[in-house]
Amino acid sequence: MRRRPGIGGLQTHAAARDQFRLLGENVAKIRTDLMKEQLATFRSQLEDFARKHKNDIRKNPAFRSQFHEMCAKVGVDPLASNKGFWAELLGIGDFYYELGVQIVDICLATRAHNGGLINLQELCHLLRQRRKSDRGVVSEDDCLRAISKLKVLGSGFEVISVGKKKLVRSVPTELNKDHNEILELAQAQGFVTVEEVERRLSWSSGRAIDALDTLLDEGLAMIDDGHRDGKRRYWFPCVSPISSLIDIIDS
Amino acid sequence: MAENCLPSVTLTGSGRPVLEPNEIECFFLSGVDLLCEDDPHTCFPHLKSGLLILTTHRLLWLPDSSAAGPASSSAAIPLAAISHIFSQKKSLRSVFASPRVRFQVSLSPEGRVAASGSRSVVATAVVRGKGDCDAFLTKFWENWRARASEEAESGSSSGSSASAVTATAAASSSGIYSSDGTVRMVGVSGILRKEQEMWESTDRSLQDAFQDLNALMSKAKEMVVLAEKMRLKLLSGSNSQTNATNDEEMGSKEEMQDWLLSVGIISPVTKESAGALYHQQLSRQLADFVKVPLERAGGIINLIDIYCLFNRARGTELISPDDLLQACSLWEKFEVPVVLRKFDSGVMVIQTKSHSDEEVLAKIKMLVMKPDALRAGVSAGDAARTLGVAPTMAKEHLLSAESKGLLCRDISPDGFRFYINLFPEIDRDDMYLVKDQGIYASWVQANHSRA
Repeated sequence: MRRRPGIGGLQTHAAARDQFRLLGENVAKIRTDLMKEQLATFRSQLEDFARKHKNDIRKNPAFRSQFHEMCAKVGVDPLASNKGFWAELLGIGDFYYELGVQIVDICLATRAHNGGLINLQELCHLLRQRRKSDRGVVSEDDCLRAISKLKVLGSGFEVISVGKKKLVRSVPTELNKDHNEILELAQAQGFVTVEEVERRLSWSSGRAIDALDTLLDEGLAMIDDGHRDGKRRYWFPCVSPISSLIDIIDS
Repeated sequence: MAENCLPSVTLTGSGRPVLEPNEIECFFLSGVDLLCEDDPHTCFPHLKSGLLILTTHRLLWLPDSSAAGPASSSAAIPLAAISHIFSQKKSLRSVFASPRVRFQVSLSPEGRVAASGSRSVVATAVVRGKGDCDAFLTKFWENWRARASEEAESGSSSGSSASAVTATAAASSSGIYSSDGTVRMVGVSGILRKEQEMWESTDRSLQDAFQDLNALMSKAKEMVVLAEKMRLKLLSGSNSQTNATNDEEMGSKEEMQDWLLSVGIISPVTKESAGALYHQQLSRQLADFVKVPLERAGGIINLIDIYCLFNRARGTELISPDDLLQACSLWEKFEVPVVLRKFDSGVMVIQTKSHSDEEVLAKIKMLVMKPDALRAGVSAGDAARTLGVAPTMAKEHLLSAESKGLLCRDISPDGFRFYINLFPEIDRDDMYLVKDQGIYASWVQANHSRA
């Protein structure tokens, strides 16, 4: 563009730039919208195919790997069996296995912020979100059934009740690092309360209670209900031995 | 004797072949001899009773796992080097003899297998084990054909279907903006029209591809490219245009990134391909697979986590919990660096062998030999902190150390405390003798220094 001198020239130049930018933005917006639309078609088609032609896809290994790649790239879960009659009645077929894999997947994904303890309701909600194209709605009962299928692989995955809530624990006691954090916390005073754990570590109440209960079962903690404020204290003699406390009292 | 004319196969730690990119195993046959009958002077080795694997790219022969020979005895024949597959002769003799599959392999003048060799030899695979030889032959034909057509396609560099997409990809990448971010001054309407055409063609190819399964199969490659393109655009698009990011989009973006992490196994072992060898091969594949997640988890991981990750990596080829368990239990028989461990509580985990007892015992010994620990012992909590594991785990380790005679327990109001075991050090004839060196001496010293 030839640049004319003077203020008028500058102004036309700026106006032209604005026009072009506006056009560019418009096109870009249309482009993203179109792309989203096409992506949605792509996804729903893939989901349909995954459901309808599962066996055919599995028969052809070369195509299977391409199909997986497609699914992975546009974000489609290739596990999409319907519940079906037999699954409902006898619990056979891939449906509950698939559900199991998806449930563990959600637990793994949320573990970083819930410590491997998730409310069953929340789990169900996330599961439904993931299987949004699914016609049959996944119930809590389905979740429980899918979890029970995992029992073969040891007791590292269980449903526990804290109060009225049902929680799913995906981290077994043997691998639970939450306990270390509580022990760390208890080192200061020799004891902790549920409220203190929740506040200091910003955990949900179920998580704290579950961890403390486990420590109690393991014989690492002792409870003391006799304090004036009425709050239950969990003492940890293993981190601050009673003998050392006696020393303090003596001196 | 001349040099071996077949290239060898690289094996993974658990004895599975390392595959080329996009190579997929299709059929396994056990107890197969591979030899060259008609010409004893060639350098074709005589391979006896091994595992024959048919992949989309090659024919692999691995020595039998029980007789673990050197890895160099494995062999691979690229399907491209096979010039002919003979159909099976049906005769009375063939009913009694082991089934044979004969095929022609071309050799280069130097005597190596090559796609366009000057001479050829007839190789024979004798199937001594149980296995569906006919099914193998069918599959062999199929793959050989597919491979040949694929080679031809890649040879003529402009494959018709793939180029259409790459062309549009190139057009879109130049886009409306030039590289310095300013709007291009040439032919705005032209660009817009091009854009429009591109979208229409994408729409059309989507429609074509998803007509039925066969259409999708034939267009699979194109669709994979398209999927990749969409993914990249969506990821980059919402980064630059922050105004357009609503919650849903963010959600789908995260989802996509999650998914990309989760695919991994391109050639999953299946019941269909491996037949009777299913669990054995699955076990090996699993052993290779767990390495990465195990490392990330610090050397020990819940079996159920692996169940999920492994299945995710396999895509639609779901395995049941029972199959997984069986695959893990087969590890005892192979040389693999991982073990399945069951706790008394019923929890099952996978851990690396190096993570196992000796190393932990050594760490515990270091811990209890510290002056403080000599005096006051250690608790499960102390051990947990030192070993970097959960207290329950630490207690388990301490108890196992006790059962090995390394520690002694003291049950007090503080709970369990563990001390170093001094009893082996004490001389039965002279109980009060303190040797100059040894654990007893350092124990006495530690207690004296306090008093």
